[in-house]
Amino acid sequence: MTLKKGWIVSFIIVVIVLAGFVWAIKKGASSDRCDYDGTRIEPLYAVYFFLQDGSEKKFCSVVCASMSFSALKKQIKVVRVADESSGAKIIASQAFFVESEVVTVPHIKNRIHAFAKKEDALNHLQKFKGRWIENPLDMSIK
Amino acid sequence: MILNALSITVIFIGVLSALLAIWGGILSFVLYRRWKRPFIPEEKASLEDRSYLVLLIMVIVLVIRLFDWPLFYVTLQSFISDIEGAMCIYGVTQVRPGLTRFLEFLKPVNFFLIGGWFLLHLLDRATKTSPLMKRKLLLLFILSLLVLIDSLGDIFLILGIAPESLVSCCTTVTDISNRPTRTTPLSIFGPEYAQSLRVLFFITHLALIGFIGLSLKFKIFRRPILGLLFLFAILNATFFLLSQVEVFAPAMMHLPFHHCLYCLWQYVPDSIVMYLLFILGTFSVGWGFTTELFGRHGDTVELLTVFFKKIYTFAFFFLSAFLIMLIIHLLVD
Repeated sequence: MTLKKGWIVSFIIVVIVLAGFVWAIKKGASSDRCDYDGTRIEPLYAVYFFLQDGSEKKFCSVVCASMSFSALKKQIKVVRVADESSGAKIIASQAFFVESEVVTVPHIKNRIHAFAKKEDALNHLQKFKGRWIENPLDMSIK
Repeated sequence: MILNALSITVIFIGVLSALLAIWGGILSFVLYRRWKRPFIPEEKASLEDRSYLVLLIMVIVLVIRLFDWPLFYVTLQSFISDIEGAMCIYGVTQVRPGLTRFLEFLKPVNFFLIGGWFLLHLLDRATKTSPLMKRKLLLLFILSLLVLIDSLGDIFLILGIAPESLVSCCTTVTDISNRPTRTTPLSIFGPEYAQSLRVLFFITHLALIGFIGLSLKFKIFRRPILGLLFLFAILNATFFLLSQVEVFAPAMMHLPFHHCLYCLWQYVPDSIVMYLLFILGTFSVGWGFTTELFGRHGDTVELLTVFFKKIYTFAFFFLSAFLIMLIIHLLVD
């Protein structure tokens, strides 16, 4: 009987400790991580989806954003990307996209760069053997 | 080689356990061969003394190898910042993919076999006549070979991982639509496979806990029953793996499109405790069966029921604790 009681008490203690641990981790969870793979976001290469319900999804790169794009497309109100020259958030449809040799986010080998100004994009393209590409997050494409 | 405290520890343990595994393996084989011959009392005393020395040293080596499994992953985790393109352990495994995959397979096998051997050792020590000594020595010889391979693998892997290696990480593999963990259940259950996997896992897991509880309550520890329990635990482990990758890990990480278990350990560290509980619970079911398979001999027969009760109580406890942790996570999420 004593042995059984001991088991039950230790079981409850373990569960309480573990529950506390879970809660502590949830509380301390970082908010600046990519909503696709959880990696830390470098603001200069970030992509933001503003959804119909008012919430926001953040991504570390155009590659991660485009992998979530098809699943979230119906809920997206507007897509913004960070201008690689200034860090400012610009609407994706107004940005200039270049694919070059430069890898911005190594773990997914993102080579797609977004710029607000055409001169900056052209400058990058000439400097790093790039090419123009269409907006990979184009809302108008069905 | 990436030099840090963990990599040096792994190499040190690897060299030490490789040398001792060679010594212990040869001696245990020699002792096993001699044990079956009839001998005079003096010869027997000398043989027993040598056996106990080998067992004592090999027990220490095997305990160290048990801890080597988590240490292996902690060491790989410590390499992430030095490997370009790695965001979790998966990236580090891509530097030497063949060898790492082999070691990732070998380590749980060794952990299971070492645990099973320890139970036989404990059972044998609880008797007065050591009826399992011969089997123990033979199994120790086989284990020494595996420990030797594992230790050498560790050394070569750690020496072979060069800093600044460029790799692709998990996103490019675990999240593609034709990953086997998705296509297999998709072909069986259809587009709603995730829900089916979730339900199926809970059913098999609860059934496993229930069967263990019934075995404990009615003290049914017959070989076919224990064998079936072990097979059912393997089936449950398969569903565990599939449901973790496809359903539970993305939910726990709050990343619905990401299916990497290494990332889960990184973002939700208590999932390591959860996985440890599941592994120990599943392995305990297997250890019960291996104890029945190799431990039923002479004096041990009387002790087996008490041993089974302890082993399956542990299995019941670990699997229940895992389930509670998982449910807490899903409720919190």
